[in-house]
Amino acid sequence: MSLLKVENISKSFKTLQVLQNVSVEVQPGERHVIIGPNGAGKTTLFNCITNVLSIDSGTVYLEGQEISHLPSRKLVHLGMSRTFQKNNLFGNLTVEENLHLAVTSTKSYRYQIFNALLKHEDLKKDTDEVLEQWGISSRRNVKVNFLSYGEQRLLEVLLAMAAKPKLLLLDEPTSGMSPAETIQTAEMIKKLPRSVSILIIEHDMEVVFSIADKITVLHHGEVILSGTPEEVRNNEQVRQIYFGGGAKAHA
Amino acid sequence: MSIFSIQLLTGLAYGMLYFMIAAGLTIILGVMNIVNLAHGTLFLISSYIAFTFISQNVGFWAALLLAMAGTAILGIIIERLLIKRVYGKELEQVLLTFGLTYIIADTAKWIWGTEMHTIAVPVFLDSSITMGSMVFPVYRLFVVLVGCGLALLLWYFESRTRIGAVIRAGVDDRDMVSALGINVGLVFTGVFAFGAALAGLSGVLGGPLIGIYTGMDSEILVTSLIVVVIGGLGSWKGSFIGAILIGLIETFGKVWFPSFSMLIVFLLMVVVLIIRPQGLFGREVA
Amino acid sequence: MKKNLLIMFLLLIAAAALPFIVSEYGINLAAEICIMAIFAMSLGLIMGYAGMVSLGHAAFFGIGSYTVTILGSHLSNFYLLILGSIVLSGLVALITGAIFIRTSKFYFLMITLAFGQLLFALTWQLKDLTGGADGMKISSTMNLGFGDIVSPLGIYFVMAGAAILVYIFLRFFVHSPAGKIIKGVMENESRMKALGYDPRIYKLLAYSVSGALAGFSGSLYGYFNLFVSPDLTNWMFSGQVMIMVIIGGVGTLIGPAIGAGLFIFLQNFISTYTERWPLIMGLLLVILVIVGKGGIIHWFALLRSKIFYRRSQKRMEYAQNHAQKEEVTN
Repeated sequence: MSLLKVENISKSFKTLQVLQNVSVEVQPGERHVIIGPNGAGKTTLFNCITNVLSIDSGTVYLEGQEISHLPSRKLVHLGMSRTFQKNNLFGNLTVEENLHLAVTSTKSYRYQIFNALLKHEDLKKDTDEVLEQWGISSRRNVKVNFLSYGEQRLLEVLLAMAAKPKLLLLDEPTSGMSPAETIQTAEMIKKLPRSVSILIIEHDMEVVFSIADKITVLHHGEVILSGTPEEVRNNEQVRQIYFGGGAKAHA
Repeated sequence: MSIFSIQLLTGLAYGMLYFMIAAGLTIILGVMNIVNLAHGTLFLISSYIAFTFISQNVGFWAALLLAMAGTAILGIIIERLLIKRVYGKELEQVLLTFGLTYIIADTAKWIWGTEMHTIAVPVFLDSSITMGSMVFPVYRLFVVLVGCGLALLLWYFESRTRIGAVIRAGVDDRDMVSALGINVGLVFTGVFAFGAALAGLSGVLGGPLIGIYTGMDSEILVTSLIVVVIGGLGSWKGSFIGAILIGLIETFGKVWFPSFSMLIVFLLMVVVLIIRPQGLFGREVA
Repeated sequence: MKKNLLIMFLLLIAAAALPFIVSEYGINLAAEICIMAIFAMSLGLIMGYAGMVSLGHAAFFGIGSYTVTILGSHLSNFYLLILGSIVLSGLVALITGAIFIRTSKFYFLMITLAFGQLLFALTWQLKDLTGGADGMKISSTMNLGFGDIVSPLGIYFVMAGAAILVYIFLRFFVHSPAGKIIKGVMENESRMKALGYDPRIYKLLAYSVSGALAGFSGSLYGYFNLFVSPDLTNWMFSGQVMIMVIIGGVGTLIGPAIGAGLFIFLQNFISTYTERWPLIMGLLLVILVIVGKGGIIHWFALLRSKIFYRRSQKRMEYAQNHAQKEEVTN
């Protein structure tokens, strides 16, 4: 059974049809990349899957359970987390405090009005784990506004990972990055455990082909092709959309 | 039946007064994102200015124009000197306009004392029209006419002139408008002065109807804010409808539920906000 | 942490020693300041930790005051009356909050203002119940179980004790999981939703606690002033407590209390010399905003930090750039 099954969803804004009969499937452990030119509807797809936007028709299943109309905040508790294309962090709080908030959302004590948050040992443990694993333990007390862009982007992913999701939605993780940072990010994504399946929107073709198990191509709100990297690379239509000028597509 | 029609006229007249002041408030809010808590005191000071002129035997109409001009000038001074320093800073705006409220209201108290005053209905309008058994005071009809005239003026400005388009655009994208070479600062000052003038208009026209008394700035501010909320921030059309509704509810409410007309007004606001959180004509809030 | 305990200890000493330093007039003033400090801290909770700016907070103060007054003619137990006030204002906050919280910033400001005015109108109109514009006298006296407390000194100690209790409660609250989450909601509501939280529940929690505390301060005021009137619910009073919070420092717990002290002191001091206190206060506020050069809150925080925490500037830079673990909260 696929982990995520998006079945024929459509979405329009008044007269503009943004998504039309889009279907995508993500298998457990898979790294599935969504590509497509600007305006193809990729972020809208994410917003529809996470119910930030309501879909006009079609269904979304997570592990066989329909989630099409659930409030988006419930999805984290079902095992689905997302990141944002533009950094959406808690700028005035420290790295550690950001992670605390991310970790606490699935804890049983999140409604307590006594018993200081920091007294909970499991919180400290979970946060320390993340900080150490990704090598930013030394930055834990820095306010996020003072982090470098690349560090912020990493934190963006870590916040989503903190809830230990089964499915991670990454929205253009390398957007705005230098080549060096891009490589770092690609390495980071490759290091993520296979217990987490990943659906990524990505523009940088080198990154796409280095991490994808499966690629879905979106154009004008429709799925052109969904297949292995080889199939996509050799597909004539995709070539025309992307490689007509021979250049790497950029965000 | 006759009582009903007269109440209707009264309600409409009060509604128009509320519309005039609320229109100013909502335009300032919509264009500049400024919550002007001192708006009620502009209403107050205009009444007092007109009263002073009239008691010096200046005619009603001249006094009206002078008071409106005075209020507009005060508005310009306030905007240029103070308001412009707090664009975009909500807490500072609250602090500033609240402080202004105290300054203007207490100065008025200092100069004019605490007794209640009235402005007499201008001789020209001091009559009534009789239709069968119904007697309609002409002054109230006049106020309703002025209100409608204002609505027409605003409609014309908004849809037919460049200024209207600029203001609408300015609300949506300040930087872009500025990049087009339009002096946004000047527009803002103009808008604020216009809003102040409207408060001034309402203050003087309201004189014969509600009198002039300490604390009326606070009351009228609350009413205007309710009108603005119901009508939708930035929408003068919404203020028009909202003000008429409030005017009618208050007037009829005083007859049927004397203790509770304020409660009904408040409930109306809550109901509107539940069904349409952005007000009747407001833009969709994210 | 140690520094905070030291400050608390000093405050306690100051609070205990105060009556021996000032006159009876000063003791009365101090009691009033303690009551307003609680009121200001309650508003500070929703303004500084939940990001909700309300111009109708006096409504809860009024509910607290009038509950003690009205129920006081049927009950005489101090604890019951205070509890009743807290519960009632908390409930009203819960019910109205459920509706108001759905609205965005501007609308929230105005609907809370209108609610305050509604209460004002009700206390004015329902003469039989509330005494109307003439107000109502309180017939009960404070009695914590060991005798009637009527002396200014006794009253002061009760109020100071209450203020300290509220401060301690709020400290626990903002450090609790719910408290931290509420702050997160204010910092970035959309991300909190994406992380799996329901911001509405937390905002409602903050608003209800805030309303209950405001009611508590109102009930204490009843015992202090022995007289209540509709003005206690007026939006002008809401505006004044907001000023206390802002000049004291939004986003801190003790700030609003300090702001209350400053405001009440100035009000009393200047009023003894002139009737034109409102004018002067208005001028002071306007000057404050202008001189603040956009960031009056920061200005005051800076001033405060210079007085109380001399190393604050250096501390901030240090925490930002080094791995040293330090407490950043107040």
